[in-house]
Amino acid sequence: MAGLLRLMLKEEFRVHTSYSGRTMFLAFPAIITLFSLAIAVTSERLFAYTPLSDAILLLHASVFLYGLSVGAFGFLGRQYLERTNGTRNYLVAMPGILPMRLRRTFLGMYVRDAIFYVALLLAPATIGLILSVPVTQFRITSIGALFGTALLSFLIGMSLSFFVSALYMRSNAGFSVAVAGIAALFAAAGTTRTIPLSWILPGLAAHQDLPPFRADVVGAAELVLGGLGLVGALVAGAALLVPEQFEARATNVREVLPRIARRLRRFGRYDTLLSKEFVDLLRSGTFVKMFFSFVTPLLFLSFTAWFVRYGLQVPVGFNTVFYAGMVGFFGVILYNWLNNVDATDYLATLPVSVAQVIRTKLIAFLLLTSWVGVGFVVLLAWLNADTRFLWLAIPIVLVTSIYIVVVTAYLTGLRTNSFLFDPGVLARFSVMSMLPDFGLTILSFTIDRDLRFAATGILLVLAILVATTYMLLKGIDAKWRGTEFGE
Amino acid sequence: MPAIEASGVTKRYGSVDALKGIDVSVDRGEFFGLFGPNGAGKTTMLRILTGQLRPTAGRVRVLDVDAVREPLRVKSLVGIVPEVESPPSYLTAHEYLYFVGQVRKVDGLDARIARWFQFFDLDGVRTNLCKDLSKGTRQKLMLAAAFLHEPALVFLDEPFINLDPIYQRKLKDFLADYIAQGGTAFMASHLLDIAEKLCDRVAVIQDGAIVATGTLDEIRGSERDLETAFLRIVGA
Repeated sequence: MAGLLRLMLKEEFRVHTSYSGRTMFLAFPAIITLFSLAIAVTSERLFAYTPLSDAILLLHASVFLYGLSVGAFGFLGRQYLERTNGTRNYLVAMPGILPMRLRRTFLGMYVRDAIFYVALLLAPATIGLILSVPVTQFRITSIGALFGTALLSFLIGMSLSFFVSALYMRSNAGFSVAVAGIAALFAAAGTTRTIPLSWILPGLAAHQDLPPFRADVVGAAELVLGGLGLVGALVAGAALLVPEQFEARATNVREVLPRIARRLRRFGRYDTLLSKEFVDLLRSGTFVKMFFSFVTPLLFLSFTAWFVRYGLQVPVGFNTVFYAGMVGFFGVILYNWLNNVDATDYLATLPVSVAQVIRTKLIAFLLLTSWVGVGFVVLLAWLNADTRFLWLAIPIVLVTSIYIVVVTAYLTGLRTNSFLFDPGVLARFSVMSMLPDFGLTILSFTIDRDLRFAATGILLVLAILVATTYMLLKGIDAKWRGTEFGE
Repeated sequence: MPAIEASGVTKRYGSVDALKGIDVSVDRGEFFGLFGPNGAGKTTMLRILTGQLRPTAGRVRVLDVDAVREPLRVKSLVGIVPEVESPPSYLTAHEYLYFVGQVRKVDGLDARIARWFQFFDLDGVRTNLCKDLSKGTRQKLMLAAAFLHEPALVFLDEPFINLDPIYQRKLKDFLADYIAQGGTAFMASHLLDIAEKLCDRVAVIQDGAIVATGTLDEIRGSERDLETAFLRIVGA
């Protein structure tokens, strides 16, 4: 197992460095360290507005969600085994031709990604906190407790995701029941509090048992052991669920491409590529993945806002305009999914350019998802009985979502997931996304005090975003000219 | 005017010279074969000629179009069978040919698809997703896609790989007929026996450089067959 794991780690490293280069990729954890150091050094000001307990809650929830997104090996492994990655092949597919067990390679993927993402994110962030000690006087033991408990939350997210996606390899019905059950569990814990949060996030509960909150070390140790047991049970269950002999289901389907292409005639030279995007999304099940990966952070955002306003009684003006800005910026998740449906190698033999395919995906995004964002904002406005500023919120969600997706497309092309690990690209993306997001958030908080000022400011920000979107759209050709499919 | 004219084509990956100043000229109506050991640079050369890859240096003209400056125009004129048979995973066999035909704006598409389905006996997999097809069937689809728009020039990278003897024979006959009708073919392959039956001229590439070029008789020289001559040329 150790030999396989070493090779899998090398493989993962080489996949990432093949896109951004060795130096740039290795700079990524260094940037995370600096980022964490900067937050730690300014934490006194941060804690004046957000109590430590809330910051800890957000941290654990975030790493848990991150673990969920990382651990879906059942989906990912299936893609590898079905060779939808074009010319690339991975170690996980080797049991097909070598005397290896598929369960073992899937288990290897779990351990590989646990090590990889801890080394890439959690460990550098912790080092940043340790480096801040001379300034912040944080206790090393507290930092250690934070790392250990956050790691547990991350592993629980990964294991849960691994288990559910492995279940998907066996049974669609079983998968649906498991997803519904887990959603009900989280809804019960998050909203009605009928289930203690420690049941689903023992890492958080353990953290809350330790100083500076409490000093119940035995209680924390019990929770950590229980959490590790849960991780072990989920991983073992997932490994057992992986079918030892994988057989791709031969699928007969009804032909839909010509019909969809006819309906999309108005899109001119994009009609055929666009209709293929839709067919891919339908048949690969990516629509469902996109829906959940868009709705999950939105629910998390809503819950956080609700918690801050009603749970903590902090009078922050989370109005419809604020939500509109935030929802728009989640569009990047959807664009990333559009790039993960299928390999594009075969397009290299056709008179189609990379820039043309990027623009097709932008059109697909616009047609498929802009209404989801608008619908969500309208729903939130209605639920919060705050429909006063919908006239402003709807343009915001439309402009920001298109802007952020065009920025992502311009910077990352058809390899969003990989290029966002390139520190140079990530830095540009962060500046281009955070600046307008902060601007809109601050202006949304002032809307009740001075509507004219806030509305003028927001319209100005939107105008800048529209102009930038236009320039970036124009620049996609020049930026991606000469790039080959599969690069 | 030659169908393909390349001079000084160089491709460098970091410190590795994959191609070292290659010159190739292929006349219209000619069947040209590029042969060489694994990793010699055959696929790289073919990808550069078809505008799939930019050379580090050198000039490439295909059907009188600059393949470096106008790769899309070259791709619209020629047919390409790539090294790896990788049609899109989530389209059916029939939808893939429809997709290619629409992208290439082919007239009378239904009739052309029907002809290729009949040629390769693909009716049984018409509504199967490409990801579920066998390698041989995928290869047939890639071949059909390359010839769908009836190009004047085709580039074939190991076109016979994965085909059973029945379809190898059928494809050989089709290619011979295609050349007889005035078509031009550039094939990269290892299969010397097929080259002997199809190619008018061949070149042997080794370590990124052309080490021999000429008609089959010129390449064979005093050797009894092409295989022996090939082994002598590459020093194996």
